[in-house]
Amino acid sequence: MRVFVVDNGGQWTHREWRVLKYLGVETKIVPNDTPVGGLQDLDGLVLSGGAPRVGVDPSKMGRNGEYLDAFGGPILGICAGHQFMAKHFGGEAAPAKVPEFGKSLLNVREPDVLFEGLPDRFEVWESHNDEVTVLPPGFVGLASSPNCSVQAMRHRSEPIFGLQFHPEVEHTQFGGEIFRNFLKVCENPR
Amino acid sequence: MKFDAEAFIREQVELIRNTVPGRAISACSGGVDSTTAAVLAGRALGDRLLAVYVDTGLMRKDETEDVERTLQALGVNHRILRAADEYFAALRGVSDPEKKRMIIGRKFIELFEREAKAFGAEHLVQGTIAPDWIESGGQLRDRIKTHHNVAGLPADMKLKLVEPLRDLYKDEVRAVARTLGVRVAERQPFPGPALAVRVIGEVTPERVALVREASAIVEDEIQAAASRGLMPLPWQYFAVLVPVQTVGVHGDLRVYGHTVAVRAVESIDGMSATYSKIPHDVLDRISTRITNEVQGVNRVVYDISNKPPATIEWE
Repeated sequence: MRVFVVDNGGQWTHREWRVLKYLGVETKIVPNDTPVGGLQDLDGLVLSGGAPRVGVDPSKMGRNGEYLDAFGGPILGICAGHQFMAKHFGGEAAPAKVPEFGKSLLNVREPDVLFEGLPDRFEVWESHNDEVTVLPPGFVGLASSPNCSVQAMRHRSEPIFGLQFHPEVEHTQFGGEIFRNFLKVCENPR
Repeated sequence: MKFDAEAFIREQVELIRNTVPGRAISACSGGVDSTTAAVLAGRALGDRLLAVYVDTGLMRKDETEDVERTLQALGVNHRILRAADEYFAALRGVSDPEKKRMIIGRKFIELFEREAKAFGAEHLVQGTIAPDWIESGGQLRDRIKTHHNVAGLPADMKLKLVEPLRDLYKDEVRAVARTLGVRVAERQPFPGPALAVRVIGEVTPERVALVREASAIVEDEIQAAASRGLMPLPWQYFAVLVPVQTVGVHGDLRVYGHTVAVRAVESIDGMSATYSKIPHDVLDRISTRITNEVQGVNRVVYDISNKPPATIEWE
């Protein structure tokens, strides 16, 4: 299986690469201005987090919009990748009322393949100044934290997911399981 | 799939052999990363490699002697440079953490270029690991701090870099080190700019001596507590000299002394960390010893920040 990581300038982009590698996936970090044509024959795509402030200036997110429109396979957006996804599909991302850094508690509200086999509440690691404030049409919110209502979302029918927290970080509980669940979707997208 | 240290060693030794046709020097601080890189390069190049250790005057207690023993035991061709005066002179009057890191990085390269020339080497082997270049930033990635071995390199550097550990994190480097039989495999991480980034504010020999003594006590007490089973050994544990003076009372006399912060964290890869839940009795012993044994310190505080939002080191 081949799942690449689009680098949006995150401190943990390389961690995403490592987690995928440890799960036995063929993976590579690619810059976010890679033409979508260069991402063919992949089973999935991860849009990393990063320093760009999606809620203030999404212009540094390169070709993430093209990937969301034309990649065709499963996509997992993390942090900035997740916020950009919301904005791109007609939702909204803006500076968070209470930015979260470090430890937080995830509350899974909607059962989904991404959280299959996991408890309803567990500890996750955060690092964000902006957040999704309005869900895009066609998306459903899956999880929240005490200070952020959209910690996870997905498209109702397409295999497109967004996470505000960081499953790739060691201190996040069940991070590896979340990636494994995403890979199950990549294996069998419909 | 787990990290395969043996396969990694085979690949890297081969790669170094193919990259370095002539001689190379290796920057070796005696820590896990640089020692592992030096041993890998030593396997590939034999006596075409010279490991260079610089005593910057910013090292921990007895560190230079210890590193010398390590390098001897590993049978790596090596050289010890003593350059404390040069470093303190370059750092005089500087308190900005990024400036400190740049000055130290430039000084290292200056010394390494001198050594490389004398040895006839064109390549410089460094123990750069993933967090070093990630945190150093570039393009979209923000610079969290200048790692001297990445962002501290001068643009006109002539040496060609060889960095076999670039894609690894500390836990993976330790696995490689264990497989190679490197005795410092389990040593706690220590920053390249050494105690200069644990003296907040200006770096002087006196202030470095102070944090060195305090750090030795922190290490001593935490290792003792861990070996008695009172706590697990943290991922990293040390002292920081904070540029805050506060009032104390010593023998019925007012004192106005220094503050030391104790930092201890749990991590796997250095990219996220939680502060260690050290038992209060252990903190108590650390505090009492530092305020009694390190002259001029009358207050000890414990840092209870995670990463993020803080970083592990203070600068």
